[in-house]
Amino acid sequence: MENKKIALYPGCSLETSSSHYLKSIEKVFEVLELPFECMKDWNCCGATSVKSIDQRLNLMLNLRNLALAEEQGIKELVVPCASCYHRLVSSEFELMKDQKLRKELNKETGFNYKGKIKVRNILDFFVNVVGLEKISSKVTRPLDDLLVACYYGCLNTRVPKPMSFDTMEYPMTMDKITETLGAEVVDWSYKTECCGASLFITVDSISTKLVGKILNDASLREVDCITVSCPMCQTNLDTNQGKVREVFHIKEPVPTPFITQLMGLAFGCEPGELGLDKNFEAMKPLS
Amino acid sequence: MNLEDTNISYQNTSLCYQCAKCSSGCPIIEEMDMLPHQVIHLSSLGLEERVLNTETIWICANCYACAVKCPNDIDITGIMNKLKQMALDKGIEPKRKDVYKFHKTFANDILKRGKAHELRIMGEYNFRLRRPFKNVLLAPKMFLKNKLKIRPPKAVKGFRHWIKILLRKS
Repeated sequence: MENKKIALYPGCSLETSSSHYLKSIEKVFEVLELPFECMKDWNCCGATSVKSIDQRLNLMLNLRNLALAEEQGIKELVVPCASCYHRLVSSEFELMKDQKLRKELNKETGFNYKGKIKVRNILDFFVNVVGLEKISSKVTRPLDDLLVACYYGCLNTRVPKPMSFDTMEYPMTMDKITETLGAEVVDWSYKTECCGASLFITVDSISTKLVGKILNDASLREVDCITVSCPMCQTNLDTNQGKVREVFHIKEPVPTPFITQLMGLAFGCEPGELGLDKNFEAMKPLS
Repeated sequence: MNLEDTNISYQNTSLCYQCAKCSSGCPIIEEMDMLPHQVIHLSSLGLEERVLNTETIWICANCYACAVKCPNDIDITGIMNKLKQMALDKGIEPKRKDVYKFHKTFANDILKRGKAHELRIMGEYNFRLRRPFKNVLLAPKMFLKNKLKIRPPKAVKGFRHWIKILLRKS
């Protein structure tokens, strides 16, 4: 039987520290008349930690997710978190490339992953499945006065080459969505620079430095906000921003809304419906 | 060292011709005690001890900047991870214990329920580091926005049983 469903793999952070991201996705899906459904019984992708100390376990955790999604009749598995996306799509790549490995791990884990599903980054999903025309048709409050820097971070685009949906050095999918909403986007130098979120808890001196450089470049270009699609980036750019701005002498706050929060605003939704009250650095009210 | 010994992250380090694009693209190069292209060079020469004892392999942020810049498609980030695991397998003490302890805490936590409990990970990590007040200013801020949950997430159906059998096997 052919898999047909579209479902979301939310990942751990969208249920806790970035629940406002999930809220905005749900709202945006509603406006776009897309069925909103999360895959069932998913487990954590292991993030950077598991693959750092046990690469086989990392593959098995992700095989479980891929196999379950396949069993649930899912065709498009939409992944909003860049870290989860990177783990899932890299595992999909490794398992499909190496049949022997897939067979061996299927046997060991008691699953039967065949490779019938497509893991999609949420940006890829919006641009290449939903389409910019459809997005444009729902815009009721164009973000005319907004100057936006689109920040992709490291893991959204740096996947095994055959799996990529956008250019790695200078991606444009998020820029295209943002422009469709009526906003103006800037060309800037830190689109894909790592923010150091994996070191946010452990070596915060490094993540402070990396976040500082990103905020600084955006702020010099006088943007109204940096929009992101990765919950790790959002937490890292937003939570400690006061301290980082002090170190880097950046005067004005730089709000960091999720791309789906911007979409929601352009679709005429209220900030509260999009969880914007949970962002630390608040967006200026739209005129 | 035989990096080709496994089918996971299969890499041929001998393809490296030392152009050092990996090192020039690395965002945290100044924090490293050995540059990425040197790590690859020593690995291909079999001088493993000198690589496994570096801070570099632990401090690597896993951002893949090096890997996408490599003209020979060597997955340098994947190799960094392999080297971490190799160091652990050989009983070599991680040069950056703080980073290792975080990874270990995270992995242990998600194996309990199948999902991460952020507050517990932060707390347990501080306990392991014997630095109870690290990042302590973040917590109230995040509580205020209801971003940290005191209660752990509901266990994933069937996960515990599955992982128990799996870990027993290996």
